[in-house]
Amino acid sequence: MNETRQMLEDSVERLFGDRLDWDAQTKIEESGFPRALWDEVVDQGIHKVLASEDAGGLGGGWGDAYPVLRACGKHAVPLPVAEAMLAEYLAREAGCTLPDGVPGLLPAVLDADDLDGDRLRLAGMRTPWGREAAYLLGVADGGDGAELVIADTADLDVAAEDNIGRDPRDALRGDARVVARHALSLPADCVRWLGALVRSAQIAGGGVTCLDLAVQYAGEREQFGRPLAAFQAIQHYLADLAGVVASVDSITMAACEAYDVRGMSGAARNARFEIAAAKCRASEAVEKLTRLSHQVHGAIGFTYEYGLHFTTRRLWAWRAEFGGAGEWGEYLGRLACEAGGDGIWPLMTG
Amino acid sequence: MSSVADKIRFEPSALPAGLDELRREVREFLEETLADYSPAVRSHSWEAYDAEFSARLGAQGWLGMTLPKEYGGHGRSAFERYVVVEECLVAGAPTAFHWVADRQSGPLLVRYGNEEQKRRIIPQITAGKACFAIGMSEPNSGSDLASLRTRAERTSNGWLVNGTKIWTSNAHRADYMIALFRTDPDPNKKHAALSQFLIDMKDARGITPRPIKNLAGGRNFNEVSFVDVELPEDALIGTEGQGWRQVTEELAFERSGPERYLSCFFLLRKLVDAVRDKASPATMARLGAQVAWATTLRNMSLSITAKLNAGEDPALAASVVKDLGCQFEQALPGLAQELCDLEPTLDGFGLEYQQVLGNLVQVAPSFSLRGGTPEIMRGIIAKGLGVR
Repeated sequence: MNETRQMLEDSVERLFGDRLDWDAQTKIEESGFPRALWDEVVDQGIHKVLASEDAGGLGGGWGDAYPVLRACGKHAVPLPVAEAMLAEYLAREAGCTLPDGVPGLLPAVLDADDLDGDRLRLAGMRTPWGREAAYLLGVADGGDGAELVIADTADLDVAAEDNIGRDPRDALRGDARVVARHALSLPADCVRWLGALVRSAQIAGGGVTCLDLAVQYAGEREQFGRPLAAFQAIQHYLADLAGVVASVDSITMAACEAYDVRGMSGAARNARFEIAAAKCRASEAVEKLTRLSHQVHGAIGFTYEYGLHFTTRRLWAWRAEFGGAGEWGEYLGRLACEAGGDGIWPLMTG
Repeated sequence: MSSVADKIRFEPSALPAGLDELRREVREFLEETLADYSPAVRSHSWEAYDAEFSARLGAQGWLGMTLPKEYGGHGRSAFERYVVVEECLVAGAPTAFHWVADRQSGPLLVRYGNEEQKRRIIPQITAGKACFAIGMSEPNSGSDLASLRTRAERTSNGWLVNGTKIWTSNAHRADYMIALFRTDPDPNKKHAALSQFLIDMKDARGITPRPIKNLAGGRNFNEVSFVDVELPEDALIGTEGQGWRQVTEELAFERSGPERYLSCFFLLRKLVDAVRDKASPATMARLGAQVAWATTLRNMSLSITAKLNAGEDPALAASVVKDLGCQFEQALPGLAQELCDLEPTLDGFGLEYQQVLGNLVQVAPSFSLRGGTPEIMRGIIAKGLGVR
């Protein structure tokens, strides 16, 4: 990892490593949005890795964003940092700046039916941290090209709903007032794809925590007069787990690099291939990441008091968000079937 | 906060620019050269022995690519070699004759061989005219390799070898064998008593390979007996007593290459052709998941190539790739049967897909045996994680 990326990772580690222990996570689940911690994120500009330098950002690429997203996954960060990073990236590509406050990133493409003059009609779109949003941000398929749409949140009906990780995924209904529309130099489905990349990176980080906790626990807990780690069956679970963690880390990092080089449109073989592979692999990996880490922990890992669940519940949610292994596998499988047997390898080697 | 996962991060390593031309040349060559080979033969890939093909590949300059020019190698990068190797595997080229020589024996000799050995043998490897066997396992030393008992005793003018090796691929037709023997009988020195030797199979007397037929009827591997085999003084490779360390280095090459996930790629190609016209979304999702896995493993394998190229020791990462790659390629024949319910057939019967499946379903059990079992790999990984 280069110096900038190491520095980014270290700063996120420092911020969340101290402030998100299990007691803190428990309190947040009881009392809601940790405003003070969010303010620190904003102060430190952690969400601005992908923002343009004009907008006070780092102007970095997704290869730079990766260690930050992964660290957010590792610490089960109960804040929309990943969503805010994606929002800043969209603003950079649209050449605009975002209003202050928590962004309400709309995950689905907006079409002509949703947009009527200065009204954005929402019929229950589930939006990360919708209840906290200071404004809405979505991408519309404008026919001639994509548009970044910014709307305010007044007059919206917010039906609070959490995902099983207890992060807000609120259903928004009503007409929002559009405050700005900017031409966007990205495909209209970019939020679905980049959202999948973001969740893959968070899954990679969550996997690291599953492994770390399992290794630590196996070293401490004794049965039959020996630490669990002394049993070959447990060693093999941990080794298996480590391999799965490494696989998600590797393909997601590679997808970020591929996106920085080739983007998501134009050339037949752009980074959609790697992004689909990353989310397919990451979603599929969640099964083993969660099963093996819980198995090593035994019953203690099934309690609320022991905080493995802050990570594993989020992994189960992230597995499906922005499409699971079925959707992304089908995308790749369709490409493979179109290319035919002789065409798969040229597809892989780009 | 540091994490055990930091020890197994695979930094992405895209192939350097400028290799497209090489890849195109290799593809064209293989398409032309392999046109008359049957799909069943092609599905054997790195287990298929074909001296003529290896010599042709050597004539193209595509063997011993990373070995130094001063000894007759081509002085090219590990990435250039990687391109040639992966294209050969995907095309189902019969690479068994040169496989071991090109992958590990050549680099080992460059590192530890003496001047005369290098001058004599490296050009043969580069030409695709030297077939190497590796003498490691013994009848009573499989996964517990360091318990091996074949003895090499010092004599006045060399070494005297007695014992038995087993599962030695191509020993009955190899030009050379690189073998691990016990040079010190002290039972307390388990690992430190092992040394590596280079054996000229055409010259040595007292070596008797007995082919062992595998379950599919193939005759690649052997039991090899050594009875009072006299080896010259300079048959010792590297340092006496350092054989274990040298072998471990060699295994990093063996465990991280593209062959660790591509053994069944020819089947994946045929499977896609067999189902593409009527594939349901669910079938496409399963196929796509394999493509995602293969892409992931290729990235991991390339990342290790970058480490090898930079002179780093990727032993832990290589064990991870071996373990994951084995899970992937060993599951493919079963998945194929699930998605396309046709009987696996013997060579010459049924569709191409059925013949390829017929071969691979039979040889797949060997994927998790050769080059170290998953049980051994996971032991190495656990040690790397600090839990063993």
